Amino acid sequence: MAKIAVRDLRKEFGVGDERVVALENVNLHVEGHVFVSVVGPSGCGKSTLLNILSGIETPSSGTVEITQDEEDAHPGYVFQSSRLLPWRTVMDNLLFVQRNPSSKEARERCQRYLDMVHLGDKGDKYPGELSGGMQQRVGIARAFCIEPDVLFMDEPFSHLDAITARSLRRQLHEMWVETKKTVLFVTHDVGEAVELSNRIMVFAQGGRLIDDITVDLPFPRDPSQDEVAVAKAHVLRKFEELDLVAT
Amino acid sequence: MATTLEEQHLRAPSAEEQRLRAQQRRETQRRWFWRIAGYVTVLGVWELVSGWVLAESLLPGPTRIVRTFPEIVNSGRFFLSFGATLTRIGIGFGLAFIGGAVVGMLAQSRWFSNFFRDAVTIGLTSPGLIWALMGLVIWGFKPQGWIFAIFLATFAIVTVNVAEGIRALPKDLLDMAKAFGTPTLRRQREIVIPHLAPYLFTALRFGFSNGWKITVLTEVFSSNKGIGFEMRVSSQLFQLDVFFTWVLSFFVFALILEKLILQKAERRFFRWREDVSVA
Ligand SMILES: Nc1ncnc2c1ncn2[C@@H]1O[C@H](COP(=O)(O)OP(=O)(O)OP(=O)(O)O)[C@@H](O)[C@H]1O
Ligand SMILES: [Mg+2]
Repeated sequence: MAKIAVRDLRKEFGVGDERVVALENVNLHVEGHVFVSVVGPSGCGKSTLLNILSGIETPSSGTVEITQDEEDAHPGYVFQSSRLLPWRTVMDNLLFVQRNPSSKEARERCQRYLDMVHLGDKGDKYPGELSGGMQQRVGIARAFCIEPDVLFMDEPFSHLDAITARSLRRQLHEMWVETKKTVLFVTHDVGEAVELSNRIMVFAQGGRLIDDITVDLPFPRDPSQDEVAVAKAHVLRKFEELDLVAT
Repeated sequence: MATTLEEQHLRAPSAEEQRLRAQQRRETQRRWFWRIAGYVTVLGVWELVSGWVLAESLLPGPTRIVRTFPEIVNSGRFFLSFGATLTRIGIGFGLAFIGGAVVGMLAQSRWFSNFFRDAVTIGLTSPGLIWALMGLVIWGFKPQGWIFAIFLATFAIVTVNVAEGIRALPKDLLDMAKAFGTPTLRRQREIVIPHLAPYLFTALRFGFSNGWKITVLTEVFSSNKGIGFEMRVSSQLFQLDVFFTWVLSFFVFALILEKLILQKAERRFFRWREDVSVA
């Protein structure tokens, strides 16, 4: 089982007067088959949190731990822009992150996840030949195809049009149910958070984690359902109480 | 309504497509017409000037050169000289390419780049003649002389291009690889090198054309073989038909190299980019 544990995390950028505190005193614990959304205003350190958890950045102080069955684990990561290698085909992009890219199993696994995002026939294409939505789906397949128990997603749908985003949300939810992953999902969109997650963590300016809301509704959720609308309104009201909307 | 694939293939190209294609064809024809017209004019004027304006012994015409060319080839000197010159470029520019790439990559470090920035500026602005003379003064006809000159004349070009490529390394892709725990070697091979490839290619093209010039120059000064040497000897002996034949062969060779070899290689190498522009 996968576990994310963060203790007394602090991160600042820059030196001297230029110093920016991106995260301050963050503690969190996430374990098992849950979908956790991270919401908060722009610049509150959401991306920084994922970057530290995935090892791209190092913490200024505090500790982070990602384990899969008690062993250190690399997460899958879906970025805001797809971050595919433009000079490699779709299939080679997936193979690039495999532990053993030349093995037959790796290729088959990649093909399976390409099929899962409905791009099974696009393996030979270069990313530049695909639409933005397709590229994002390749990015999702890449994160899944290393079969990590932990998955990070940083506003993966924010560049896409509403219809594409909606169908990808549905696909993502199905894949989460099917593969039982622990997901940490950064978003600006409260509706999206309510639709997908069991838990919503709210960050405020200055990188503080100020609320942890449990969303206890059955899946699949549809934005048109009354309960979902109510839950969304509830989260937004909390935002107002916490004075996040004004910023 | 569903259209099957066969139907689409069999469907005749629309009037619009036909019109576009015809236009493209005309465009290509026109380009070639002007190119050939240009060559015919230059060669014609040259033929006329030779014998009319200047004595034929001073300026042999194209027909004369066409007759001289097989003589040189048959004497065996043609391939010998081109071989010698190309070997020199290969060695001198090969070393400069490796050295320039290494220094360009080290340009990431601050003190290194501060020192080398000035050196590179000097290297870029100085005429190759300086290095050729210096090499001659210090080493005479020894190989060190021309290696030195070719190296210094092309080194800066490579350094500048590689340093520029390094400065523009795609951090988002490298971060992605880091997050996925991709091994360092694979990161270099799949991200850094493909990213640097266009910069290296530019370095290769400009470096090579500069290497050409300086190599021929060093041969004029300080050599007993190569096409630069042949040019010097034939001009000293006043065999101007031989001289012009060498010059012309040199032009043609450079043109073939650029158009047929380097451009083809570039197109092949950067196929993914062409696909991008087509899409
Ligand atoms: N590499 C960096 N160097 C300096 N400052 C940085 C760096 N990365 C982030 N920051 C700063 O840290 C703070 C948090 O940035 P971060 O990108 O984590 O915000 P975010 O919550 O993801 O915002 P958004 O919703 O706009 O993506 C910001 O003030 C940002 O300017
Ligand atoms: Mg962000």
